[in-house]
Amino acid sequence: MAEKEKWGVANVYSSFNNTIITVTDITGAETITQWSGGKVVRADRQESSPFAAMEAATRAAEDVKEKGIIGLHIKVRAPGGNGPRTPGPGAQATIRALARAGIRIGKIEDVTPIPHDGTGRPGGKRGRRV
Amino acid sequence: MPDTEYLKIPRERVGVVIGKSGITKDEIENLTKTEIIVDSEAGTVAISPTEETEDPLSVWKARYIVKAIGRGFNPEISVKLMGDETILEIINLPDYVGKSKKAILRQKARIIGKDGRTKDIITDMTGVDISIYGKTVAIIGDMEQIHIAKEAVEMILNGVRHKTVYAFLERKTRDMKIKQFHKMAKDETDLI
Repeated sequence: MAEKEKWGVANVYSSFNNTIITVTDITGAETITQWSGGKVVRADRQESSPFAAMEAATRAAEDVKEKGIIGLHIKVRAPGGNGPRTPGPGAQATIRALARAGIRIGKIEDVTPIPHDGTGRPGGKRGRRV
Repeated sequence: MPDTEYLKIPRERVGVVIGKSGITKDEIENLTKTEIIVDSEAGTVAISPTEETEDPLSVWKARYIVKAIGRGFNPEISVKLMGDETILEIINLPDYVGKSKKAILRQKARIIGKDGRTKDIITDMTGVDISIYGKTVAIIGDMEQIHIAKEAVEMILNGVRHKTVYAFLERKTRDMKIKQFHKMAKDETDLI
């Protein structure tokens, strides 16, 4: 190891509507690159598809490699709060694409915000009336 | 490589995760190339990567499989979570109906239906697998299917009549089929 190996953090926000990948340095304060499903596909409903996530991840990987970073820790996040707490379809695809692009994968962490009893669910007492 | 993951499962499901003289546990270990350590006393499961682990997601997947078994699925169905697009969704009943044991029991009965009819209709129409266990309803399927199934379950929990839910399911599955057909035709030209 001649030079020190540089690592970063990939913050992956994966909802049912989009996948946003923000790569930062290890402190999380300095953003290196930002990609989302919406940047790579045209149709709104494909933003969250695994294909869009893969595409975004490979492009993020290119930017990251250019900066000389060899590995990424991953923080996966679903909408959380009152919404769904399981990451959408883009999360797995993102991680896989990053690994395939030749980036070392460090720790994978789930950072979905879970309320310690927060605001009420939408819908009211009688539910959603259509 | 990813770290060790810990999770807790109900005591009475520990036996199912391990299987007869450890077959189920071995099978999950082989599929995901991970090491699973089960504490039968406390019901804690530790999943750690081994040297053979290539896929960075395998620990995650193993975790979801164990979680699904803990939520009442049998191992054969849980293994479906190995697929890339199959996900596990857990609906927590107290979030919808409150803590009352009676209310939870009644709503569970409403989701299952007489002789399991309502549950069968939801699974048949959307193609998901459903497990109603304890205070949760767990669904395994791909994203679109889960969306529909979850909405149907939520409708029942909000007190909608079964008849309305069936009609909703029928309409949604028809839409889904039409969408799939259009997607097939469009995908090749639209993407890239």
